[in-house]
Amino acid sequence: MADPSKLYRFLLKLYPARFREEYEKPLEIQFRDDYREAPGKGRFWLRTLYDFARTAPVEIARELMHDLRYSVRTYARRPMITALAITALALAIGGTTGVFSVMNAVLLRSLPFREPERIVQLRGFPIGSQGGPTVFHAWLRQSAFLENASLYMASEMNLTAAEHSRIMVAETSANFFSMLGSEPSFGRAFTEDEEVPGKDGIAIISHALWQQAFGGDPHALGSTIRLNGIPLVIVGVARPGFDYPARTSLWTPTVFDSAKIPKTGMRSWVRLGRLKPGLSVAQAAPMYQAEIRHEAEIRNLDPGQWLNRPEATRPRLIPLREQLAGPVIKASLVLMGAVGFVLLIACANVANLLLTRVAERRKELVVRAALGASRARLVQQLMTESVFLTSVAAAAGIMVARWAATLASSVEPSTLTAQQYTVLDGRVLGFAVGIAVLTGIAFGVIPAWLIGRFQPSQDLIRSHQPGTHGPGAGHFRRALIGLQVALTLVLLAGSFTMGGSFLRLLGTDLGFRTKQVITLTVSLAGTRYVTDRQMASYNSQALDRLRAVPGVQSAAATGFLPLEPSAYMDGKFTLDSGASVRGAAMLPVTPDYFRTMGTEIESGREFTATDTHDSEPVAIVNDAFVRAASEGAPLLGRKVTSNWSAKPLTIVGISRTVRYGGPSDNGAPQIYLRYEQSGNSMDFVGRSMTFVARVNGRPENYLAICRDAIQSVDKDVPVFGAKTLDQRLTDNLARPRFYTTAVLFFGGFALLLAVIGIYGVASYSITQRRHEIGVRIAVGASPASVRKLLARQGLMPVLAGVAVGATAAIALGRVIEHFMETAKTANPWAFGSAALLLALIALTAIWIATRSVTRVDPVRILRAE
Amino acid sequence: MSRRTQPLPQDLLPLKPAVFHMLLALGEGERHGYALKREIAKRTNGKLNLGQGQLYGSINKMLDLALIEESDERPDPHLDDERRRYYRITGFGRLVVQAEAARMRALVKIADREFGLPARA
Repeated sequence: MADPSKLYRFLLKLYPARFREEYEKPLEIQFRDDYREAPGKGRFWLRTLYDFARTAPVEIARELMHDLRYSVRTYARRPMITALAITALALAIGGTTGVFSVMNAVLLRSLPFREPERIVQLRGFPIGSQGGPTVFHAWLRQSAFLENASLYMASEMNLTAAEHSRIMVAETSANFFSMLGSEPSFGRAFTEDEEVPGKDGIAIISHALWQQAFGGDPHALGSTIRLNGIPLVIVGVARPGFDYPARTSLWTPTVFDSAKIPKTGMRSWVRLGRLKPGLSVAQAAPMYQAEIRHEAEIRNLDPGQWLNRPEATRPRLIPLREQLAGPVIKASLVLMGAVGFVLLIACANVANLLLTRVAERRKELVVRAALGASRARLVQQLMTESVFLTSVAAAAGIMVARWAATLASSVEPSTLTAQQYTVLDGRVLGFAVGIAVLTGIAFGVIPAWLIGRFQPSQDLIRSHQPGTHGPGAGHFRRALIGLQVALTLVLLAGSFTMGGSFLRLLGTDLGFRTKQVITLTVSLAGTRYVTDRQMASYNSQALDRLRAVPGVQSAAATGFLPLEPSAYMDGKFTLDSGASVRGAAMLPVTPDYFRTMGTEIESGREFTATDTHDSEPVAIVNDAFVRAASEGAPLLGRKVTSNWSAKPLTIVGISRTVRYGGPSDNGAPQIYLRYEQSGNSMDFVGRSMTFVARVNGRPENYLAICRDAIQSVDKDVPVFGAKTLDQRLTDNLARPRFYTTAVLFFGGFALLLAVIGIYGVASYSITQRRHEIGVRIAVGASPASVRKLLARQGLMPVLAGVAVGATAAIALGRVIEHFMETAKTANPWAFGSAALLLALIALTAIWIATRSVTRVDPVRILRAE
Repeated sequence: MSRRTQPLPQDLLPLKPAVFHMLLALGEGERHGYALKREIAKRTNGKLNLGQGQLYGSINKMLDLALIEESDERPDPHLDDERRRYYRITGFGRLVVQAEAARMRALVKIADREFGLPARA
């Protein structure tokens, strides 16, 4: 049998350091005595183990409390340093946790579907709903990799239930719910034969809509609602939290019968598939390619037309999670990178602060060591101190994270309710705790390691001598400063690049003026205005009422409003010379549109009231159109034809290019059509119009009055989207603004931490070297020259950090470029200015820190020796 | 390291049986840990047999509370393992034992009044 004492000594390690140090020997002796006298050895061991289980936790808790009390007292003596350390860590831990809560929601949290990893979006598949259900199901049956597939088309529509509202509607194939594996919570799903005309007048509503419009009344089943004027019978209520796709409130099996419900805007369908069991996305991808080729062949089409598209639209199987996560992921990764840097910097900074403390407390620690405190006990004390600090910071960090998650939901709302960002989630809280403990250990370990190197006997003597450094602490602190400077530089360079890009966005000429313009949208889909003439009459009445509002300078209407995320149509236009322009956006507008929007007509004229439905068709093109046509001769007065227009159009004006999509839009060729003349061929816009009005004074004051004015034409036509154009621009820039602000904030914060660190090291080294400085001045050096020497020495780690940081920043710049749309080019100016700024600020901090040198009195210092 | 402000004897009541017995045993003089354990086992007819951890855990706590202190005096070194530690009761320890005994006496009185006491336990 093994030596029982040995085994017991091993068990003794369960006790905390102080207790072990005090009682290890007596415990061992007593154990030997007890063991010798114990009659049954097995029973004795059981009793001993029980004794351990009972007493070890008590002793650990006691010692922890003791160490904590001691920590609080030590920290309370240095409130400024402590507050700074906690703030730095709280922001860093909170930031990382906040970003993680977003990543957790979109990447890790389970989705409300059966086996969601098998569901893919089939992007770029050449056929959709055109062939009807028969073709669709025939295709599905022969598919080599799909078990099931369904189609949907999502758009906003007018709902008339108890009252009018705009809701998101998905027109789907009948198998939508069964394919996703989410049966309605009550009522029923669509049956297979319900996706054909005559049988598809039914709907499933979301749980939220059921609560909101029917107060959760079970009698909602069987009742009739109107969607864009078309009656539908409710047959089911979806599960709570199910709102796929895009926060949909209502599903109807009309995807193959898309004429049933009149709609505005563009239609584009999405094809979803469920992979056969055991098939991965990677395995299915080549099968998908083969299927596209096959589909193209049976239609005598060139498969390359699809397969060689630009990457953004090339056919691909997109896993459901990726479809839902979309842009959030890239942005989250960039932010995670930024806050990760801040966390590292904060760790370096706090480690530095603690090292100062260790150096200051060296005498105390050396005395304690000399009095018999073991290394383990001192290390335990220091680790408790640092983990305690991070725990407090983590608690504050959770608050920061909650705030960050709220902010993120307002800037980049999750696609589904089930993916809402929250900090109150086991995984997120676990992450925060993990980060806190890891950081605590990360910056606590260096001071603790230095403690391990103390030699009580020698250090006790040395610590009483003036002008001595802590063992190795100086090197460490300089290395930490270098590291911190390098990290800060990378972050600063990144934030400068992003900030610069954002400023460029802000300064971009949009081609229209957003000040003092209000916007309101109406949708005539499903109303009593059906023919072109009826719709035109509604619009002109609405414009008359709008113009009659006191303070309205001018008013107009357009089918597509700039800064509005909806897609617009583009087409091919051929000039009378035979030259053609592809991909020109077709924009139907009314007279006064350019005046109201503040878009300059560079030559020619704007549309007028004399351009009517019956007069010669006219068009206005923008300068990008002119450039794309690359005609030598001027375009004014020329004819242009397209299959969208029955008659050739005469170009009567050239306008400035409008960046429709906002500042980041490059400004594609645009062709403006007179609204009344485009009605017949462009029914896809005819039913939705946005009214714009330029007003005197504060535009916000006009929103309600103008909405009422338009509503007064017909109370059954919903008026929505009442916003100022300025507000729309702000919304358009919300995302880049948020990311830029966040990264700039982190960069600035990192800079602040670096400055504090540099200042701290410089001023500390002066207190340490008072003696040497005194001697230098006594033998004739001027205080100014000593100051220069100290500044030079203080600047060394900073410069080393700048060199390392610049190299890393250039390498990382490429990564950032890859992730951020707004940071197109890795900007050498950003690196240069960040490096210069950092060096200058560091020099200033060091110079200020060394001012005490001028007050050094050599006589007093030398006498003190 | 500074000690917390000294509590009043009443603040520590009721004492855990092990602590009370250890203080009682130390009333007769200084003892080391093992002797304490044996003395307590003898007084309680083996009912209170302290494990090593429990014994030194209690000692640790009593030292913290200043109920006992370590004694520097040793019996004849030939008779003893010098690594053993000896403890003695402090003045404060005595006050706490008295307070605990008084508390028990009050309880005994109440029990006597309400139920009467048997002649022998």
